Amino acid sequence: MSRRNDISTPEGYFGDLQKRLSEIPARPARVSTVHRLAPYVAIAASFLVAVMLGNSILRKTATPAEDDTWSYISYLADALDPDGASLVDWEMDEEESGLSEEDIINYLLADGISVEHLNYLSYEAAY
Amino acid sequence: MDGVERLFNEIVKDYSERVYWHVRRFVNNHEDADDLVQEIFLKIWTALPSFRGEAQLFTWIWRIATNETLNWIRREKVRAALRFASIDAEMERRIDSDPFFDGDAADRALSKAVAKLPEKQRQVFILRYYDEMPYEQMSEVLGTSVGALKASYHIAQEKVRAALGKDLFVGDD
Repeated sequence: MSRRNDISTPEGYFGDLQKRLSEIPARPARVSTVHRLAPYVAIAASFLVAVMLGNSILRKTATPAEDDTWSYISYLADALDPDGASLVDWEMDEEESGLSEEDIINYLLADGISVEHLNYLSYEAAY
Repeated sequence: MDGVERLFNEIVKDYSERVYWHVRRFVNNHEDADDLVQEIFLKIWTALPSFRGEAQLFTWIWRIATNETLNWIRREKVRAALRFASIDAEMERRIDSDPFFDGDAADRALSKAVAKLPEKQRQVFILRYYDEMPYEQMSEVLGTSVGALKASYHIAQEKVRAALGKDLFVGDD
């Protein structure tokens, strides 16, 4: 039982193999899909990281009294406007806004909200 | 021709034949061995500019060759599984149908027994028995201690002996 002589190659194989292998440096470099997409993935990832970092910093520096979106937005608006002239004026009265309660009800009715639903909402607001 | 290309051509000249025989023992077929050798040398060419010389060139080349060969075996296992076939049966078929297999029945039986060894034991067996690589070099290539390699080779030989019978396979003990 021999260790090497039990298998062979076609005649002149190794000369041909060496020739083919030595042509590898002349071949155009193959760019894989992963490498082609890498710059775009990197940009998207850095954008995501920036958004997450920004969000995290804002959450840490802002301490809204209630953990709901509107109070958070209100808090941010106040923080952005240190002079007190809030960007979002939550306490506009009827005169300032130029909208009466009737205007709002008419708008909601025109928008498809039923009278029953409006009654329910006003009941909820009252109690 | 720059320095890297000159070095690559030296590697091709010095190692291509040896790498081929190593790979051929694993894949048991000339055509696949030819493809895999090209893949290995393409990898060597791509990685050559980052070769820093911390490892010996020999060790570095053999690490690439053995890793690529193991990856090929794993891919082949998956392909066989997708055809609901076993890799052992596929290897036996390759040995039986290889037109460049010139050995006798005992050689064929040995090749089949080696093909059935677990990946790592087969790697150790081929490097030691067919490639006749010293344990110290094997240790550098595979990142395993000499003691562990000797134990692994011993176990592999026992399995081959059990498959062939003591008269057919003497081994290196």
